[in-house]
Amino acid sequence: MSPAQADEDPLTTTSTVTVNGTARIVTAPAHRSLLEGLRDILGLTGTKSCCAEGECGACTVLLDGKAVNSCLVLCVESDGHEVTTIEGLSECGPTDLQEEFLNAGAVQCGFCIPGQVMSAEYLLRTNPAPSEPEIREALSGNLCRCGGYARIVAAVKETAARRAGDHD
Amino acid sequence: MTDPVKSVPIPGGLPHEHGAVGQSVTRYGGVDRVSGGQRFLADLSFPGAAQVALVTIPLGCADILGIDTSLAARLPGVLAVVTAEDLPQPVPRFGVSHQDRPVLATGRVNYHGEPVAAVVAETLDAAQAAVRAVRVDYRELPGVYTLDEALAPGAHLVQDQSIRPDDPKRDSNVLKDAHYAWGDLAAAQQRTEAVVEHVYTFPMVTHFPIEPGGTVVVPTDEGGLDVYSPVQHPYLLQRTVASLLQLPLNKVRVFAPDPGGGFGGKQNPKYEPLMSFLAQRTRRTCRLVLSLEETFQAMRRAGCRIKARTGFTRQGEITFHELDADYLIGAYADVAPRVMAKGSYVGGGPYRIPAVRITARAVLSNTTPSTAFRGFGSPQMAWGTESQLDAGARVLGLDGLQVRRRNLVARGEAFIRGDHQATADGDWAQSLEKAAELVGWHEPLKPNRGRGIAVGIKPGATSGLSQSLVRLLYDGSAIVYAGTSDMGQGARTLWQQIVADELGTPVDQVNVVSGDTGAVPFDLQTSASRSTVFMGTAVIEACADIRRRILDLYAETTGVPAGELDERPGVLVTADREMPLVEAAREALGPLRGEFIGQGVSRLRGRSGHPLGGDAAFYEFNCTAIEVEVDPETGELLLTRHVSVGDVGRELNPIQVVSQDEGASIMGLGHSQMEQVLVDEHGRIRNLGALDYRIPTFKDVPVELVTAAVENHDGPGPYGSKGISEGALLCTAGALGAAVAQATGVVVRDLPLTPERVWSAIRAANADRSAAPRPE
Amino acid sequence: MRYHRPTSKADALAVLAAEGDRARPLVGGTDLLVGLRHSTIAPTWIVDLKGITDLPEPITLTEDGIRIGPTMTLGELVAHLDVRRSFPALSEAALTVGSVAIRNRASLVGNLCNASPAADTVPALLVLGAVVTIESVDGARTVSLADFFLGPRRTQCHASALVTRIDLPWPPAGTGSAFQRLTRRRGVDLGTVSVAAAVSSDGRMSLGLGAVGPKPLMAEVAEPVDLTDEPQLERVLDQLLNVAAPITDVRASREYREAMLRVLGKRAVLAAAGRRTRMEAA
Repeated sequence: MSPAQADEDPLTTTSTVTVNGTARIVTAPAHRSLLEGLRDILGLTGTKSCCAEGECGACTVLLDGKAVNSCLVLCVESDGHEVTTIEGLSECGPTDLQEEFLNAGAVQCGFCIPGQVMSAEYLLRTNPAPSEPEIREALSGNLCRCGGYARIVAAVKETAARRAGDHD
Repeated sequence: MTDPVKSVPIPGGLPHEHGAVGQSVTRYGGVDRVSGGQRFLADLSFPGAAQVALVTIPLGCADILGIDTSLAARLPGVLAVVTAEDLPQPVPRFGVSHQDRPVLATGRVNYHGEPVAAVVAETLDAAQAAVRAVRVDYRELPGVYTLDEALAPGAHLVQDQSIRPDDPKRDSNVLKDAHYAWGDLAAAQQRTEAVVEHVYTFPMVTHFPIEPGGTVVVPTDEGGLDVYSPVQHPYLLQRTVASLLQLPLNKVRVFAPDPGGGFGGKQNPKYEPLMSFLAQRTRRTCRLVLSLEETFQAMRRAGCRIKARTGFTRQGEITFHELDADYLIGAYADVAPRVMAKGSYVGGGPYRIPAVRITARAVLSNTTPSTAFRGFGSPQMAWGTESQLDAGARVLGLDGLQVRRRNLVARGEAFIRGDHQATADGDWAQSLEKAAELVGWHEPLKPNRGRGIAVGIKPGATSGLSQSLVRLLYDGSAIVYAGTSDMGQGARTLWQQIVADELGTPVDQVNVVSGDTGAVPFDLQTSASRSTVFMGTAVIEACADIRRRILDLYAETTGVPAGELDERPGVLVTADREMPLVEAAREALGPLRGEFIGQGVSRLRGRSGHPLGGDAAFYEFNCTAIEVEVDPETGELLLTRHVSVGDVGRELNPIQVVSQDEGASIMGLGHSQMEQVLVDEHGRIRNLGALDYRIPTFKDVPVELVTAAVENHDGPGPYGSKGISEGALLCTAGALGAAVAQATGVVVRDLPLTPERVWSAIRAANADRSAAPRPE
Repeated sequence: MRYHRPTSKADALAVLAAEGDRARPLVGGTDLLVGLRHSTIAPTWIVDLKGITDLPEPITLTEDGIRIGPTMTLGELVAHLDVRRSFPALSEAALTVGSVAIRNRASLVGNLCNASPAADTVPALLVLGAVVTIESVDGARTVSLADFFLGPRRTQCHASALVTRIDLPWPPAGTGSAFQRLTRRRGVDLGTVSVAAAVSSDGRMSLGLGAVGPKPLMAEVAEPVDLTDEPQLERVLDQLLNVAAPITDVRASREYREAMLRVLGKRAVLAAAGRRTRMEAA
């Protein structure tokens, strides 16, 4: 009935998703989230699971270039779309943003960090020179219980400055 | 073997001028943590593992009349449905201070979320379907969910008396009490010119680690168990599982992946014993990954009510201080009695008080077992005591800084007197003055703004044992074996820095092995900000051991008499030159190569008869000062400036100190401003989950967040350091409360200071004022 | 649970007609997936509207106003300059819904159809005169948003129907609007109380109220109010806020909600009035 429906089992879906630049075929029950698809089926465990209801941001990925909570997207919804995870962002080693996270002391336990990095990367792509209030707003859906917020803001500012310099 | 308190000179000697110690070395494992490569428990792959789900009932207290597992057990993919009846009888119990917690609820549910059965199935879907198919027949009991309910005459007893047959208090819900007293109260009252008497409350709060956690247990071919759990105390877990399942220690191997946030909540065993029985029973790898809601139901901080009565002279000297504190702990003891005892021990604060009376109780209730939480029991007491100082200051026309200056103890002066006195191990006034300066204490205030300043103190570990091995390899790289759990504090980075300076190895050529009881020597625990002091000292010892071995072997290999050689950090000193240690090591090892293995032990024995089991190795001291703007119409707070100053001894890694202090400051704002576990009349958590349990976000961070450290190189740890990870949340609430009081003219004594609570207080004060106008 | 991604509106409506309340339409999923997780809903069919090609565009500007289709996300709405300029209350309200990542998925139509009494965008849409179009296999009809909500989680859009568009008329010249909300913390939160206000050039005003009743509420006064006359404004606010019936829940007490309604109501009115075009001032 639907292009994404598997032939045999109507409760199972098969999706073709471009994950970090590579087409992947993901077969999953229809109720599975993109987060579960990435972690449990594709083995991409860099994206973290915490609240599973869109409140913590640990599962943030880019879907067609936009930051989303992968726990609130059905896996099958990503059929025909592009997903970038923390692994995709880090394919050639740490990016300038990730380096600045480390330099700023923004990384403590590290569990929220992949989500923070994805949200911050999305911010910098859509707003290359964000103000402090803009950074706080853009990241306020990403909880950090270690309280690394001020360090993360510093890392984002530093990256923005670095990128602005690179473009000169 | 070194006693970190008594050791003279301090471990590692003076800081090395150009060494790695003291630099903001980037954290160990950092690249993995920013790139998604870090493997937390839920990221580990266990092919073919069976999945576990827990069965609970929606009540805080109920008799279990029966559990029908027959339907669930027949569902496809279900391997086992286990209830207490399927466990050894009587059902094994465990715990840190009391062996009171059953592996699975037996006969009765004592708190909301206590599992009554567990399902093991081939898939998580099958396990969850089976959980829904388990029929639990239960009858609600009149559980006790608040202090008043738990302490009422004839209250329902949370624990059956048979669990504590020898405890004289077994017929009450008081699990333990503590009494500290010194000085002549009557004489002190004679000198008293002002008395303030108030009641303060501190909410139940939950740790909310962003990694919910879980456990995987693998039965081994040799009849042992490999237990994977992101715990702070792997060796305690090993001992607990070995003892419950009657296995030798070497048959229980605990792998502890780095906790994704611990904060005390991941110290003590919770579901690992259950998981071990399940694995043993099914002979399958059993995997349980908790939801955030389940994590809320597994850990929290004790709430507290503090009744305080404090006397002052007209000049603001405290004459006496009476505290009566009740900690609302959960259904099982965990480590809560010690939280109560340790928190109330320093309940009087770091002050010179002639007469003190402190009584504290740990009161059982049908709520989540409370456990260690950053700051242990200190933030609760500090909320009461610090608020009392401000109450006294207001009566006397002093400000918060003045009243603290007048009473803060000087270095070496006792702030706890009597048989087991404790003295100030730092120049704490420096922190107070620095915080006042950084917050702009004397600057004029804008409308609706106020400032508050408070101090906090927490005893560090009172006993401890850390063992470490360091291997210096032939090429000069090194491996450290240190059992400290790295849950975000960055302990491993410090071990790298220490080894780099002590052996002369580049920082990036030191790696650290931890989180495996099968490979790493014993470490008592990662708690109480102890690791820098204890494990740090053990690592230094191990390096010194290596240097001695290098010297000896160098003498043997080269024929130079050992008496003509000397060693210092990073170098071997010969008659004519200073050789880099790694070069000397290579020469000593010769063509057979090999390596040097050093061992270090840091042991602090307790002291019998001491109420805490021993003197604290050090005290964490902090001063927090806050400027706040209050919206008088809504009660909303805007923190315009938040200053935290810690007495750190020496910063071994300044950026990590900043991270810890900022993080603790924000966590302190959590319990001060917004966090509270709300429980309904059936004992159910009303705000179970991320949607209605609020923690600070980016937008809740103060406009300006400033941290600073006082360094006097006066700690017992490496190079004069002290533990630092908890200080910045000890007195957040007191500083904020005082700031709000100044901004509004209204004092709020119940945390958290939510907009609604602040608004209510303002409204009540306005109503009072219009009802009975009277001059202040 | 089965997933269906129709490409035509007719296909979607046919499935909904056949399956009734066993089916749930999906756009952003930010409420739907939370409901699935907590088993507050257990549909056997999910009908994903994002593949449909003959639904109204996310946003269309016309002579009469703007038309918003079911796939317009709150993120797009927040970023839309015409919306910001002409419907500031809606922009402000949309900006308070969840986080950036939530707004990148959540749809305005979904925010309406979820019918939470605390839905942030609804008070703004109410005072801006929104009209919704509801379609089913039986045809299309329009209802004013004020009549759309029946109670908590209940609307005039029954299980077999879809809201296919929201129409917002351009505000009359000189009208200003604003949105105010109170939360327990500064970052992402559900509203404790929310108020939207629209004030016309001559001082007529309407208020939309969130989280203070079983459904979002609206009240208006037909007579111009002199905003410089404090007692008169207070009286009018009394009258407008009379419709509210807040309750005590985990987020706040009834008393606090009542008091905050008053504070936010006034702030919203004054902010809206301050945004009226200079034409009015002249």
